Amino acid sequence: MNLTLKVWRQKGPNDAGKLVEYSAQGVSPDMSFLEMLDVVNEGLIKKGEDAIAFDSDCREGICGMCSLVINGQPHGPELGTATCQLHMRTFSDGDTIVVEPFRARAFPPVKDLAVDRSAFDRIMQAGGYVSVNTGNAPEANANLISHHVAEKAMDAAACIGCGACVAACPNASAMLFVAAKVSQYALLPQGQPERTRRALKMREAMDDEGFGNCSNEYACEAACPKEIKVSNIARFNREHLKASVCSEE
Amino acid sequence: MTEGKCASKCRLTSFMTSSLGKKFTVGAAGFLLGGFLVVHLAGNLFLFVGEGAFNHYAETLSNNPLLPAAEIALAALFLAHIVFALKVRFENAKARPVAYEVYEAKGGRTIGSKSMAVSGVLVLAFLIIHLKTFRFGDDKDGLYKLVMEWFKNPFYSGFYVLALAGLGLHLSHGFQSGFQTFGLNHPRYTPLIKKAGLVFAALIFLGFASMPIYFGFLRAP
Repeated sequence: MNLTLKVWRQKGPNDAGKLVEYSAQGVSPDMSFLEMLDVVNEGLIKKGEDAIAFDSDCREGICGMCSLVINGQPHGPELGTATCQLHMRTFSDGDTIVVEPFRARAFPPVKDLAVDRSAFDRIMQAGGYVSVNTGNAPEANANLISHHVAEKAMDAAACIGCGACVAACPNASAMLFVAAKVSQYALLPQGQPERTRRALKMREAMDDEGFGNCSNEYACEAACPKEIKVSNIARFNREHLKASVCSEE
Repeated sequence: MTEGKCASKCRLTSFMTSSLGKKFTVGAAGFLLGGFLVVHLAGNLFLFVGEGAFNHYAETLSNNPLLPAAEIALAALFLAHIVFALKVRFENAKARPVAYEVYEAKGGRTIGSKSMAVSGVLVLAFLIIHLKTFRFGDDKDGLYKLVMEWFKNPFYSGFYVLALAGLGLHLSHGFQSGFQTFGLNHPRYTPLIKKAGLVFAALIFLGFASMPIYFGFLRAP
């Protein structure tokens, strides 16, 4: 496969950045998108040019480190997969592919396609944890959780924190991410002690980072590589309302 | 245990200035305005009954001593809906300072959801013109005659129908969006709520648009 790439190049956080055209020759359809970029980078390095900076780590869709907006879609055109799981067979010979970073004020650019997503870490620090008591492990059957609820909590906990929801949102809102984290704890007994504070604190941290406001368009759900549902956003709205209005804490 | 900013600040202020609280206000005001639309439409349909019935309705309404209070409350709802929606909108514009060269949603977005700002501004423009012509218009010969006079103007009636299409589009997203913002989402009912929102939007559009279309275009000499 021979492809034309238009890649966002930006020397640093304060550089304006622009799309630069590269030609990718002899690309195997079995390569992942990141492997294709590796090959392009090898060519650039051999020519003495600066390699394209992009994030990746596990390359098997579980770490949430890879990003990229490919032809206007975070993680590319496939549903329910991360960029590292996107294979070149999805594209056709001769295609032009536009590659951009995740764009949001709260995700400041680092270089080229790499952006700083530590805003998510700060939101997690604000409330994405549970108290763990010291002492012996409790008896496993002491806390009964229905299968249905456990599944919902697990579905929310599948969020890998990649930020595709923010990248896909027309308002760069982080609601799906925060909602998934609030939900995974709110659904389980372990998350109850901090339940009220968590909803308030994580919302506060989210607002402080400069993310946009959710307008319920659900582009996030469609873009999520882990298919996190927007029903979590409703739960977060509920948790936050309850915490704001009803809680005496 | 109470600690931190959340507890020290007044809860209500904190809620109202939060991203979720602002949206809640937009949604709550929007829902009440939706209720007003239903009542307004029901009253307007007296146009089809005849001049006497419509004028009697209009006079009874304007002679009601509670009307000024209701109008102030209604204006406050509009103001809350518009001000908070604008605030949310401006914040959203700031949240992505560098736009994508190519942007294509994989799903979720609808024509209604994409055009909320445009349809909102259209409805606001309509509202201002509508108030000027009918609420504060010269109806010494009865409101019926004034309405008929304006509907005979094809530009006015055309704009009226266009703006109502904008209102329908606005409601097609706003109805279901409100439920989600209030935290009401359920695998069984949410698909129904979405359908009900589309039906409500269509009924409001058809109900209000039927009047300028019938009196302005179909029945006009």
